[in-house]
Amino acid sequence: MNALLAPSAAVAVPPAAPLISVEDLTVSYRQHPAVHHVTCLFEPGSLTAVVGPNGAGKSSLLDALSGRVKPSTGRVQLGGLPRQGLGYLPQQSGIDRSFPLGVLDVVMLGAWPQLGWLRGATPAQRDAALGALAAVGLAGFESRLISELSVGQFQRVLFARVLMQNAPVILLDEPFNAIDTRTTADLMRLVQHWHTEGRTVIAVLHDLAQVREHFPHTLLLARECVAHGPTAEALAPQHLRRAQQMAEQWDENADWCAASAARSS
Amino acid sequence: MSMRFDASRRASLQMLLAMGALRPALAAASAEPAAAPVLKVVATFSILADMVREVGGPAVEVSALVGPNADAHVYEPTPADVRRVARADLVVANGLRFEGWIDRLIASSGYRGKVVVASAGIVPLQLGGGADPHAWQSMVNGQRYAQTLRGALLAAAPQRSAEINAQAAGYLARMAALEQDTRSRIAALPESRRRVITSHDAFGYFAAAYGVRFIAPRGWTTGSEPSAETVARIVRQARETQASALLVENISDPRLIERIAREAHLKVGGQLYSDALSAPGTAADTYIHLFEHNVRTLVEAMTPAGNEHTH
Amino acid sequence: MTLHELLIQPFVEFGFMRRALVACVALGLSCGPIGTLLVLRRMSLVGDAIAHALLPGAALAFVMFGYSLWAMSVGGFVAAVAVAGLAGLVARLTPQREDASFAAFYLIALAGGVMIISMRGSSVDLMRVLFGTVLAVDDASLLLIAGIASVSLLVLAVVYRPLVVECFDPGFLRHLGHAGAWVHGLFLMLLVLNLVGGFQALGTLMAVGLMMLPATAARFWAAEVWSLAAVAALIAVLSGWGGLLLSYHANLPSGPAIVMLAGSFYVLSLLLGSRDSLLARQRSQRTHRKA
Repeated sequence: MNALLAPSAAVAVPPAAPLISVEDLTVSYRQHPAVHHVTCLFEPGSLTAVVGPNGAGKSSLLDALSGRVKPSTGRVQLGGLPRQGLGYLPQQSGIDRSFPLGVLDVVMLGAWPQLGWLRGATPAQRDAALGALAAVGLAGFESRLISELSVGQFQRVLFARVLMQNAPVILLDEPFNAIDTRTTADLMRLVQHWHTEGRTVIAVLHDLAQVREHFPHTLLLARECVAHGPTAEALAPQHLRRAQQMAEQWDENADWCAASAARSS
Repeated sequence: MSMRFDASRRASLQMLLAMGALRPALAAASAEPAAAPVLKVVATFSILADMVREVGGPAVEVSALVGPNADAHVYEPTPADVRRVARADLVVANGLRFEGWIDRLIASSGYRGKVVVASAGIVPLQLGGGADPHAWQSMVNGQRYAQTLRGALLAAAPQRSAEINAQAAGYLARMAALEQDTRSRIAALPESRRRVITSHDAFGYFAAAYGVRFIAPRGWTTGSEPSAETVARIVRQARETQASALLVENISDPRLIERIAREAHLKVGGQLYSDALSAPGTAADTYIHLFEHNVRTLVEAMTPAGNEHTH
Repeated sequence: MTLHELLIQPFVEFGFMRRALVACVALGLSCGPIGTLLVLRRMSLVGDAIAHALLPGAALAFVMFGYSLWAMSVGGFVAAVAVAGLAGLVARLTPQREDASFAAFYLIALAGGVMIISMRGSSVDLMRVLFGTVLAVDDASLLLIAGIASVSLLVLAVVYRPLVVECFDPGFLRHLGHAGAWVHGLFLMLLVLNLVGGFQALGTLMAVGLMMLPATAARFWAAEVWSLAAVAALIAVLSGWGGLLLSYHANLPSGPAIVMLAGSFYVLSLLLGSRDSLLARQRSQRTHRKA
């Protein structure tokens, strides 16, 4: 496996990351909230981990940020950022890994806004894709099929796609789930590189040790915002305890939220 | 030809003859003539039944064992049929082995009367291994049939001879006219046009009498999908024989017929009737209508496109 | 018999053979890619479902216009489009999977069609009118098929990328704000168009057979979507050509001959194909590289 290389200079400097403002956001499924009246700000260029118990609404928050899901209340302000300004790393479960596509094809998808439906890739774009593959440690893998890759290797390919997207804001949904430590370390270095480039990175994570070590900011989510700030403070024991107390199951007997009637948009 | 009546009928006939002698005397007393009995005739199939009706007129009451649109080859007698035959005054059959079941039926019914063979005296053509029974397809034979039936009816009901003779004369005249017309219409077509492809094999007498060539499509399977070889064979056959028309019936896909006809430059013809009349009120509900329909259909099929004119 | 007599001469001699070949080639070319995408989307049984979905439209047309080929074909097409459209929509908007929604709607359509026919009191086999045979392809059907094939290939070339992405990673397009849904809807319309056109000209067995069998066989030869589609199209065309020759030389009914040949290609591919076939697996067990 190659050592991690810095992404090539062929990648253009992204536009400046905006301030991301989440205002009174509620995301609900079947009238039960996954995200309940959350308000917070993500500073430009920040590196934030989103943690919390299972069912805490972390992925739903990312969905709302990326616009995949419509909020029940509140809104997300992206400071005028266009849709393609958001890089998104999805969970692998939503993807058909047995699909007959080549690795390079998947990475090139990152350039979708430029390629559109019909345009072929320019040599510069192809070089950028190869560079992205090298950056995630998959140099030489471009002609392989994704069905031949391991879970870790495929995750690297998805990272390479995000690299191609060259977006000022990057959302990562459980990026290190079921990945070996070597791959995790390599990809974490990439994430930190993004941080030094001034991109805003928001990542949903489970490993608190990893969060403490690498992520300066943390949002502790348990449907509602339990704590948001520098990692050491946000992950203080009393906050963690409060988050744990949140019931994982939906409460069928919970009262209807008065605020939803008053403030629904 | 002797007739045998059963005892009761002989008695009533003798009574009638006796009454006939008293007739002039009775006539003075009452103006109504005596009612003559109607002859109950059972014909084996619809075409014969129609001819008997035409020749006998009001003197006969006819029923057919194999009715319109039915197939004489697969006919199975019902008990009602057996009773009808038993009570018949006269049974009329085609002969030439058209009705394979008639002997058993007569035997089991106990009918002891005369069985008239309509095709008597006709020299048969060959079909397959034996005689071709479809003699009625030639109008000349049709006239022979009518004459044979007339003779049989006269012998069976001599007291109604005047009516029978009058009916028969009219019928025979119509048949003669039809024969003339058919001959001239077909003769008007050049010989090279008088070739049709049809899966009917019952038109031998028609072919011989009027000079039309009926070509059987080789290897034609009825019903579901044919193979390319079958289609190719028919097209080739049509090209070789230079047939004018295609009159194949039991094909489920009319588009296939259309395709074959286009490819081989054939006209697609209508339906031909051979072994039975069609339902009352339809195109071939009497023998005369059947014959006219067939001639009309064949002539139209054989007439080159663009030369058609209404008859 | 010379090779020319065996393989070429029947088409030279007979117009109906030429037309049948053109129809097979046209249908094969457009069904190759469509069948491939169907297999990838796990919609392999949809072809048969659509054949049944035609019924209520044809039945209604029969009730309104009598035994008219055109009315019933249009009615059948509309019904099939409705079933495909509703099924696709339901799969989009609800958690229901596409094969389930297809099953639900085609069964509703079929039952509706049977009900309409029985209320009318007629037991005539309506569907016969809608399904043709390849040997009877006339000018109108040929134009229809060639037209459908051309339009399909053109449209597929344009929407190929979003269609593939929509299959592979549906969230991706959604995230970018593109409505992957209507690309999928377009695909369903193309599917119905090809199937209904195929039914009309060639019959159900042949239309569905040429769509699915080559696509399933291609799996054992090709690795990427575009090459799968190309191999599928090739196998379809070869099956059409070979099947017609079988029907001609061996006196077999044409539709089944073509489909059986495609089926034989499938079995051969399964056994001997260059990729993941039984033979290939056997071989790969025995030897392996060092790294």
